[in-house]
Amino acid sequence: MEHFAQWLQATPLSILIQSTSWLIPLLQSIHIVMIGVVFVAVLLLVLRVLGVARTDEPESVVWARFAPWIKRSVSVLALTGLVLIISEPVREFTAVSFWLKMLLLALGIASIAALGSALRRDAAASRPLAVFTLLLWLAVIFLGRAIAYDVEVWGALSFKA
Amino acid sequence: MDLHDIALTVGNSGLGEWMRTNVRAMPIVEALHVIAAATVFGTVLVVDLRLLGLPDLKRTVTRVSGEMLHFTWAAFGLAVITGVMMFAANANTYYGNTAFRIKLLALAAAGANMALFHFGAFRTVAQWDSKQVSPRAAKVAAALSILLWVGVIFVARWIGFTKGYDFAVPDNIDLDLTIP
Repeated sequence: MEHFAQWLQATPLSILIQSTSWLIPLLQSIHIVMIGVVFVAVLLLVLRVLGVARTDEPESVVWARFAPWIKRSVSVLALTGLVLIISEPVREFTAVSFWLKMLLLALGIASIAALGSALRRDAAASRPLAVFTLLLWLAVIFLGRAIAYDVEVWGALSFKA
Repeated sequence: MDLHDIALTVGNSGLGEWMRTNVRAMPIVEALHVIAAATVFGTVLVVDLRLLGLPDLKRTVTRVSGEMLHFTWAAFGLAVITGVMMFAANANTYYGNTAFRIKLLALAAAGANMALFHFGAFRTVAQWDSKQVSPRAAKVAAALSILLWVGVIFVARWIGFTKGYDFAVPDNIDLDLTIP
């Protein structure tokens, strides 16, 4: 993996992104704006399941309102994230937070899909699953920021230590 | 006592010292700041889109905004607290940082836009609350709001790439550690 990261970091595409000074800040900013979209969409779905917000609408309507925003913003997040990985593969692949983030991200997406399968049919979705989904996404955002601080956050557990 | 003195006082406070000496403080506070900023932007976006007549047309403007505003203010409070904590860690460099200053101006502009809307177009909301099309002034405020908040996020991220200085600093030198 280390070799792969170093090979990727030396490819012309990676070097092009690294050497375009404004590109990484721009991609990170778009990434954060999209985090706002996906996080609030997930938050409102979860609050609907918990009976806190949008109780005037059936579950299927709330799902239809937010699911497309989740799908589109996650697509943009995946795309900007992929370019950011290509630009700094060593930094990402040697961070504990990065791998943990990818794992929780997969769980977070599966968890939304599971909520959606109930909400779409107006069936009562599991409340613990809703809370778990929100916690997963909070952890994903936290770990995304923590990639830059792997040694500080994980201490001796960090691959960089 | 001018603004610079206030910045220095914040930087030299126990909070500033605490932020600098705890290695996990910065990543945790920064992550909370991202979560808070994301929530502010996302909840404001839901209201702005309703005003622009995109989704949520079956719900009234006041219902959508009333529901979202609690979250917006709570998240904004968290963003201010975590923002002050990050500022305290490096107050002197942030004080002189152009990107940081532009961010505060963008934030003030977003706040002014919100206030103008609240005390302007929003006063007649009873007349257009359930209508699918909002008055032009409300639509303009909503569009400006989206642009300004996206701008706040962009300049905020830019601060992290300036290293706090307006002149070129080699990547392997961290001037923050060499200036008290």
